[in-house]
Amino acid sequence: MASGIKDRVAIIGMGCTVFGELWDKGPEDLIVEAFEEALADAGIARGQINAAWVGNALDDINIGNSALPLAHALRLKSIPVSRVENMCATGTEALRAATYAIAAGAVDFAVALGVEKLKDTGYGGLPLRTKGLANDLWMPYGSAPGTFAQLAGAYTARHGASSEDLKRAMAHVSWKSHRNGALNAKAHLRKAVDMETILNAPMIANPLGLFDCCGVSDGAACAIVTTPEIAKGLGIANPVTVKAIQLSASHGWEASYHEWDGSSIRNTQEAAKRAYAEAGISAHDLSMTEVHDCFSITELVTMEDLGLSAEGSAIFDILDGRYDNNGAMPCQTDGGLKCFGHPVGASGLRMAYEVYSQLLGRAGDRQLANVDFGLTHNLGGQPANSVAAVSILGRLN
Amino acid sequence: MGQDTGKRGIASVGGYLPLLRLDRSAASKGLQFSGLGGRNAGYRTTAGWDEDALTMAAEASRHATSTVAPTRICFASTSSPFIERGHASMLLEALALPANARTIDVSGNRRCAVSALLDALLGQGDTLIASGEKRPVRAGSAFHTAWGDGGSAAVVTDDGSAALIGYASLARDYVDLYSSREHPTPYAYEERFVKETATRDVIAPTIKAALADAGVTSADIAHAAICEPLPGMWRDISKATGITAPNHASDLSAAAGDLGAAHPLFALALALDAAQPGDIILLAGFGSGCDTLIFKVIGAVAGAAKARAALTQGLIFADYVRFLSLTGTIDLDWGIRSEFEQKTQATVLERYGRDMIGFIGGRDTRGNVQFPKSRIPVRPDADGPEPMEDMRLADVPAKLVSVTADRLNFTPDPPFWFGLVQFENGARVMMEFTDADADGFKVGDSVAMRLRIKSHDKRRGFRTYFWKAAPALRPIMEA
Repeated sequence: MASGIKDRVAIIGMGCTVFGELWDKGPEDLIVEAFEEALADAGIARGQINAAWVGNALDDINIGNSALPLAHALRLKSIPVSRVENMCATGTEALRAATYAIAAGAVDFAVALGVEKLKDTGYGGLPLRTKGLANDLWMPYGSAPGTFAQLAGAYTARHGASSEDLKRAMAHVSWKSHRNGALNAKAHLRKAVDMETILNAPMIANPLGLFDCCGVSDGAACAIVTTPEIAKGLGIANPVTVKAIQLSASHGWEASYHEWDGSSIRNTQEAAKRAYAEAGISAHDLSMTEVHDCFSITELVTMEDLGLSAEGSAIFDILDGRYDNNGAMPCQTDGGLKCFGHPVGASGLRMAYEVYSQLLGRAGDRQLANVDFGLTHNLGGQPANSVAAVSILGRLN
Repeated sequence: MGQDTGKRGIASVGGYLPLLRLDRSAASKGLQFSGLGGRNAGYRTTAGWDEDALTMAAEASRHATSTVAPTRICFASTSSPFIERGHASMLLEALALPANARTIDVSGNRRCAVSALLDALLGQGDTLIASGEKRPVRAGSAFHTAWGDGGSAAVVTDDGSAALIGYASLARDYVDLYSSREHPTPYAYEERFVKETATRDVIAPTIKAALADAGVTSADIAHAAICEPLPGMWRDISKATGITAPNHASDLSAAAGDLGAAHPLFALALALDAAQPGDIILLAGFGSGCDTLIFKVIGAVAGAAKARAALTQGLIFADYVRFLSLTGTIDLDWGIRSEFEQKTQATVLERYGRDMIGFIGGRDTRGNVQFPKSRIPVRPDADGPEPMEDMRLADVPAKLVSVTADRLNFTPDPPFWFGLVQFENGARVMMEFTDADADGFKVGDSVAMRLRIKSHDKRRGFRTYFWKAAPALRPIMEA
């Protein structure tokens, strides 16, 4: 019977580049920067790395296929290197692969690195599909904001909430992320924005306005993992450990079966349930979360899907400040996707980077007082067809 | 033929007009500086970016085939989107008719649907004649506002309620406008030449011959559907033939525009709607000659009332630039986002195309319906591959589960509406929406399915078709 990987894997080093429109940096620069920071943090030699996984979601305009861009950039000498991709959940997928390799006892040191170079497309937002295959014969060519905006009407319909309350709560989500992002030297957007500006922004996909949407960024993030025993041998007495790492993928139920009402994301619920069980904690034991706030409505719904707000009450919890930095359950202390940025393949590892930093007391101006457990929630796809990754990090002791 | 000899007749008809109706005065206003343009009264039906001759013919056919499943399908148009791709075959698949039906495309001039109708009436088998037009016209040309977009259809059976009692044909290489592959938009010749000689030499002689063939006089005609080569010619045609009955073809031109090959059958539908049992109707199609058909109405013809209702179920708009864009007369720079590749792989189309254009989903062994079909059903308790029975979703009532108006995504007529659609039979599909009215869409709205262009690959001149959700009811025009 599987017992999970709680405390069987330690994160001993992490790195993260500045996120943003990095016109003067290529994928190689991003990879090397994130890795070198992680390597220095881990205090090991690069030759000790036994295996590596690179997460990259949009290879067509990006770093290139396969593991080779990572192996070349870091000059990894004939070790196993793989590329993983799971849409916007790619970063956590890379971490999951490296973590499982350690937990399995296959290697001593593994690298998970997520990277995305999105600002070579010539426009904002995600690159468009170029396939011409079966799904293109019928699926709508909706944008990412369009697919997530669907949550809003379904949410108000289910809970009888007013559109005005929802809009204000969504605005609060973005207001909070901008305030937090302003404290983060590595964030893409570092400017606080007032509520009026957010509420009156141009509409992107009803009811999501400009400030309800994260942009896309260039960036990379990296983790080096090993066993707690090896970590202790390196002098890390109480390392950050992986308490849980879970993934749930749609099988078509939401968009093709008649039960889902469109107001929540079941894969988040499923992954969270399993993650809490694996970690042996409940939602209320968490100290903080870093969730996939690609759009403000996503964060709002995710608060309920993670069990942090009761069904139908996230609007009011958000407006009450529960998820602000000084609230009972801080969320997006680093600015989140909204302001730290969203280099797709790196985002899951960026979330882990913030939790890791908070657990080690390294978060500077945004450091929280007491951090025992932090949760990351990394969502790929769209509400109707998603991949949700939830991980929980803490200290070994 | 005579009144007692005609046996085959028209069993049902269909008329489809696009949602949008340009207020012609808006075009006149936009062109005021130039002195160009044409008539400024009435409305000009304007196809959505995702409509073409095939989709509009298909919509008209859905009305006409609700009670009859034809074994012969004829598609008629002068603006068929493809050169080498049979539209009648696509129409057959869009209507999910048996693949062993006989199909044919006819074209060549705007009389073609009437010619095909006459052939069907003189032939055998239950036959659908479906016509659609979305003709390219240059801005500033009088045709740009005088012509309209639309579709029409008629089904011929042995016991149709409007029986053919006489006919006449005249073939004549008569050039009233220039249009060719090299120059697809119409180039007009002098109007006075057309007005004088088309009536005198082509239309009136054919009508008179048909009246004689049917053994009736012009005074016996209760309703006419006589297509005018140019607006305003009905008065001269009436004078030349002695027919004083209301001409529904002229009314259609004023309300919607000249629908080209689709015009005669639509006008016939209007005439049938207005007629009483025992009435005699005269239909005349013009173009490279003339075909005139005379019918005796025996009883109500299915679909006629719906065609009339279509005249006033629409959305008036006065945005001339939008009209220019929708009719392809200006090429707006939509930016980088519009550059995405829309190539269709022929292999993929061959595997899945029929289920797409026919909107065929599958019913699993427990009765759950899904789209598209899959080897292992989406039903949560499915535990392996199951056979699936074809289930067509095109006519199943549906409601919206989720919706948004996406203003980031490229579409030629923003915003891009889409969302999750729940069908009454349990199927649900993430779909594009179309024909938004002023209120847009919201969760819980009832929707109906419309066949539309899904992707338009301008680079290769190719398009694919799928179904989109439209409001179940259209707004009533308030002039």
